[in-house]
Amino acid sequence: MHKAAPRHALIGLLWSAFFACGHVSPALAAGVQINLIAADGRPVADAVATATPIGAVPKRPRERKSTAMDQLNKAFVPQVLVVESGTSVDFPNNDSVSHQVYSFSPARKFQLSLYKGELHAPVQFDTPGLVVLGCNIHDSMVGYIYVADTPYFGKTDRAGILRLDQVPRGRYRIQVWSPSIADEPGSMSKDLEVEESGESAVSFRLRKPLRSVPQPRPHPEGWDAY
Amino acid sequence: MPPQPARLAQRLSVALLMIPAAASAGDRLDLQGLIDVRAVYADGTTSFLDGGSGRLRFDPDHQGIRIGRVMLAARYRLDDTWTFNAVGGSYGDHDKHAVDLTEAWFEARPFPSGAVRYKVRIGAFQLPASLENRSVGWTTPYSLSSSAINTWLGEEIRIIGTEFEAKWLGASRGYYGEVAFTAGIYGWNDPAGVLIASRGWASGDRQSTLFGTLGRPPQAFYREMDGRPGYYAGLSWRHHERFELRALRYDNRADPAATNSDDIAWRTQFTSLGARWEPDDRWTLIVQSLHGRTYVGPDGNPDYQFAQRFRSWFVLGSAQFGAERLTLRRDHFSTRQYAGFYGPPADDQGNALAFAYLHDFDRHWQAVGEWQQVHSRFPPRIYFGVPESINETQIQLSVRYRFNLQR
Ligand SMILES: [Cu+2]
Repeated sequence: MHKAAPRHALIGLLWSAFFACGHVSPALAAGVQINLIAADGRPVADAVATATPIGAVPKRPRERKSTAMDQLNKAFVPQVLVVESGTSVDFPNNDSVSHQVYSFSPARKFQLSLYKGELHAPVQFDTPGLVVLGCNIHDSMVGYIYVADTPYFGKTDRAGILRLDQVPRGRYRIQVWSPSIADEPGSMSKDLEVEESGESAVSFRLRKPLRSVPQPRPHPEGWDAY
Repeated sequence: MPPQPARLAQRLSVALLMIPAAASAGDRLDLQGLIDVRAVYADGTTSFLDGGSGRLRFDPDHQGIRIGRVMLAARYRLDDTWTFNAVGGSYGDHDKHAVDLTEAWFEARPFPSGAVRYKVRIGAFQLPASLENRSVGWTTPYSLSSSAINTWLGEEIRIIGTEFEAKWLGASRGYYGEVAFTAGIYGWNDPAGVLIASRGWASGDRQSTLFGTLGRPPQAFYREMDGRPGYYAGLSWRHHERFELRALRYDNRADPAATNSDDIAWRTQFTSLGARWEPDDRWTLIVQSLHGRTYVGPDGNPDYQFAQRFRSWFVLGSAQFGAERLTLRRDHFSTRQYAGFYGPPADDQGNALAFAYLHDFDRHWQAVGEWQQVHSRFPPRIYFGVPESINETQIQLSVRYRFNLQR
């Protein structure tokens, strides 16, 4: 993928480490494996996968969290960021050109006036849902913040697999999402009963071929001036 | 003596930096500059820029070391919605003013609150018709010269008025692209058409300036004579970052009977259609066609009317190999007079070939070599004592310094 600014990569790493340690007694928790396969049988990497408790499942206590959505080479990095609701997201611009980031998605509308560096305060995402990010100067800049109503989430690896550890017993809604998935969002959801221990697995097989998501191109400065 | 590029750039930047900059809210001023100096060889007849009938910018009397362009483009942020934009500089020739503006406009670009983003421009700016001249200051990143079509748009057409754009943002529906409708209303473009009618098509990079003139005898293009505004309307579509389509209709709605002490109004209408395809990060293919007509003289009196149709198309292929870029462009052009014959018909027939090699040393320094050949047949050349059918070749080796400053 892209070269993320080391500082923000570090935050992400620490954050994942925090989840790996977990705050829930391992005796009452199990592992959940989510598997995503494309219509042609190939694994789908880098898709968002979440396990949202249904009903009275004790969630991990919500922490005040923060992370960052970078801007590098006229692109959002990462292109898709998953956060738990209540998370604050910083939007540092590490490009040599200014950006004007906005969202008009119902889950979180916001506008950051033209800036470079770290001019603006972090934006808090409280409502679960998908937030589409744009730049008012560079129309080809598109990014996503997936706000999950759960601390149990991640992205699939190159084998199309996400393993969630330390998931407490209970009933969960397992959902996957990616900008390249063309299937109906409703079909990308399955319910799962997680037992006290052991492993449970959920598989999704897409029906429609993947949509192509254009990768950002390195346009020189000053192109497309009008 | 040609003005010194460094001195000009310095003077311009000092003037622009005088604009008060508020340090608190990020960078307000964004400056992009270009200094382009060339070694030129040209074997054609005297350029139209010097009173001849040649179609290239330089000629045997104007070759050697030349200023290609000294340019400074500024964008000044007034608030979250409005910016002021200006492009100025010098071509180092005998324009009326050594330093002049080519564009200056206010732009409003409010944040979208839904799937459609509106944009308004007010001032003087280039017609948004080119897929080739995509860089700041209406320069092309593919070569030194522009196609005949975009050379002409830069010479005679400038919008002095207001433009409105409504753009559907595909990201709102998971689509990576946009569809935009653009329309403009303008004045001060009544002489547009005089150059293509009297000279035919050309290929170069000499835009007209807002307060200056072009050619010999000096011709101005930005005059209002009849109080009738012109319009243009266009549609564009971008798909991923790979394909872009632009269609545009221009009509200056000039009263062909209107005159002032120096100029006459030309009624000029044309349609431009173009596409740019970038199948991968290396290759670019651009095609554009433009056709229209221009006429002068009172309506309802065809005997006193001069009228001409014009048409051109080009194909451009370009490939980027790391720091190198190679571009090949083929132009075809024609004009055909259909009324007002008092001598040889002003029928222009020709084609042009250009080959450019660009090398980026770093983000500041660039070297460009360009070879161009234009063949044109134009009967009115007999007035210049030149055969009506000629071939002209021009070779330019350019060294360019580009910079970007933010304050
Ligand atoms: Cu941007």
